[in-house]
Amino acid sequence: MRLKRSQLLVTLLFLFGVQGALQSVIFPLWKKNYAPVKQSKDGFVSDSLSPDQIILQLFGFREFLSGILWVRADGFFDSGNYDAVLPMIRLCTVLDPRQIDIFSTGMWHIAYNFTDEEQRSDRRYVASALALGKEGAAQNPDTYEIFFETGWIWFHKIDDEYHNSVKWFELAHQRADMQAGRRNLLSNAYQRNNQLDEALDLYIKLLAKANDAAKANPKEHMLQTMRDTVEGNLDTMIVRLVQRGTLAQRRGDYAGGQYDTNPPFDVGFSARVTVENPRVIRVEGTWNVASIGTRVRIVLRDKDMEGGKLAELDWDARDAVDLEPSRDVTFMQDQLFVKNRRFKKLIDMSKDPTMYPFSETKKNYVVEFYYNPRSAPPHIQDKFGFNGEGFTDSNFLRTDVRKDFVYDLSQKDSKGKYSVDPKLVEGKTSQRVMYYAMDLTREQLLRRGQWSMDGGQTPILTTKNFDPKKVITVDEVIAVPTLRGQEGHGNIEEKKK
Amino acid sequence: MMGPILAIAKTTVGEAIRRRVLLVILMIGVLLLSIIPSLGVLTARQEKAVMISTMFAVLRATSALIAIILTIYMIPNEIERRTIYTILSKPVQRWQFLVGKYLGAVFALFIMIAMMSAVMIILYKVFHNPDMASLLDVAKQPINYFMEMSLLSALSIFISTFAPPLVNFFLSFGLWGVGTVLNPLYDSVAQNSGTGPIMKGVATIATKVLPNFAQYDIKNPIINPETIIENPQMYTIYITGYAIVYITFLLIGGMLIFEKREV
Repeated sequence: MRLKRSQLLVTLLFLFGVQGALQSVIFPLWKKNYAPVKQSKDGFVSDSLSPDQIILQLFGFREFLSGILWVRADGFFDSGNYDAVLPMIRLCTVLDPRQIDIFSTGMWHIAYNFTDEEQRSDRRYVASALALGKEGAAQNPDTYEIFFETGWIWFHKIDDEYHNSVKWFELAHQRADMQAGRRNLLSNAYQRNNQLDEALDLYIKLLAKANDAAKANPKEHMLQTMRDTVEGNLDTMIVRLVQRGTLAQRRGDYAGGQYDTNPPFDVGFSARVTVENPRVIRVEGTWNVASIGTRVRIVLRDKDMEGGKLAELDWDARDAVDLEPSRDVTFMQDQLFVKNRRFKKLIDMSKDPTMYPFSETKKNYVVEFYYNPRSAPPHIQDKFGFNGEGFTDSNFLRTDVRKDFVYDLSQKDSKGKYSVDPKLVEGKTSQRVMYYAMDLTREQLLRRGQWSMDGGQTPILTTKNFDPKKVITVDEVIAVPTLRGQEGHGNIEEKKK
Repeated sequence: MMGPILAIAKTTVGEAIRRRVLLVILMIGVLLLSIIPSLGVLTARQEKAVMISTMFAVLRATSALIAIILTIYMIPNEIERRTIYTILSKPVQRWQFLVGKYLGAVFALFIMIAMMSAVMIILYKVFHNPDMASLLDVAKQPINYFMEMSLLSALSIFISTFAPPLVNFFLSFGLWGVGTVLNPLYDSVAQNSGTGPIMKGVATIATKVLPNFAQYDIKNPIINPETIIENPQMYTIYITGYAIVYITFLLIGGMLIFEKREV
């Protein structure tokens, strides 16, 4: 049988068209369902990847290579060579974006382990850790782990803007494989975000589920323990709602009731900042709460910081993973531990010029003091309330520093999945926080010019109410008060009277 | 019409199985597969994923090497040894000769991929004792690789109608590399809003014209079972259809060139 050449040519052209049409259908399906690395909207895997990394990650041996690199990174980690670990973590996540452990360990490592001489973490990296979390969640949308880990960074490391930890914990909670024990944490995030109804509702639902699971497997000790834990959490929350006067506020009879949060307690914040040496500051002050457990946040940062917020960074600023934070940004954050109603701390920023560059282009700095009762431990919150209703400061109480926000997580995409980029809705309430800022110049911080160490003035900044007598250390015995006193709860002197 | 084709295919399978170089590649592939279970130490929780994915990678690379080496010599050797005269002097058309050679190569390839896959599945069973559903899941990938290698063989046969074996080897290997490794990259370039129009055009042509081997790699949901795949049956139909269409396209192209070639 001889084939006609013209017919073959026509068939050839036809088949060429058909394969092109098929290709237009198949490849998008492959990218969506089977590609090992999900691409961003722009096409590239990540804006921060070099071409050689992109090519390398396309080879079939990616999981194998990723495994080898991860073992090597682990060796560097054990020897404390953290800088070497960072690029390897990045490469491992590029090679095998399904290795959830690498994402979660990498996020923790980036957010927590880059520290200065005094073990203060370099918070400029936190945005990178969150960006890694966003990428990990996008690459592994069917499992809860990266959503949870990202929420944990917001909840524990940042410990602020709680609507973000709520968002990520909710996204984790919506995934079926989330461990039952970890779901409780969403309720804690709700409480810190002043979503008390949601917190209570979640505990009730979790208890119902835990009851069912325990009944179905009566011999499973772990399930019984889980049930008891959820029940304990629910009981504690109900007690707190009553004791802190939250339910009374809703009923409208709070004013006349005997509640630990009523009247609000004046914490009497005052502070003095002394630049003792170049890049070394001494911070002293008062905090009129006798109970131990208070940590006042102190931030020293560039005054004109891009995206800078009051007493924090713009943590959510990055979507692409960038392991090199801006080297000319100075941002120091620490906690002032209160003992016997005063705090005193020497903060040395002279040994880590990469972490505290005090760049020549930045002439003005600001020292900020910040305390949010929502971050307080439960025994302090018993006095201050869920939202600081039992907390005040006659000089530095602010309600304009932190607004309440809630993510609208009812949104779903066309396939019925929850959106990872939900709409942010401003709440009706504000947070009651203590906030005060002091301005410092670069000259003062570096002790130059009229502030020189050779006979110049010592830069000292104080709040108007600062009394040096109150910060003199007379003894280091920690006085432990009871919160169930009469007037002026927690104030030992008043109780003695 | 089919008689001569099947006769040539049968002879080709026999020749392929007797070729030592292919047997050596096959043996190396099996040896590599057998040491992979010991690589589980490279990961904490993903031992199974690393093992399966590395086995797939070895299977794919070995199969590609076999497919190319098997086909690049088929037509040039017949011409060089002048055995083609004996065949074409019989009532056999050139296109039948080409199709027969191709079918023989594909069948030989099937035997070799099946052998390596069997070793792979046995090792998986021995080291991880998976259930039947998981075993069947793992078996899906070699079937896809067989389709991919059938396409690669067609490409090599097509090139062998006009190019010598050495040129064919690099050309086939290069095109397979582009279709496997670089196709997703070209697609990234074509989709990226920052790419210039010329580069975008080149990238689009590369993704739409050259054979796309990347889409036969479906291991991701196999090694990550939590991945949700929409309509996998339809996808299989699509890629099978693509392979048939592209193979037919290459064989017809080969026939047109081979008909005019002086032997």
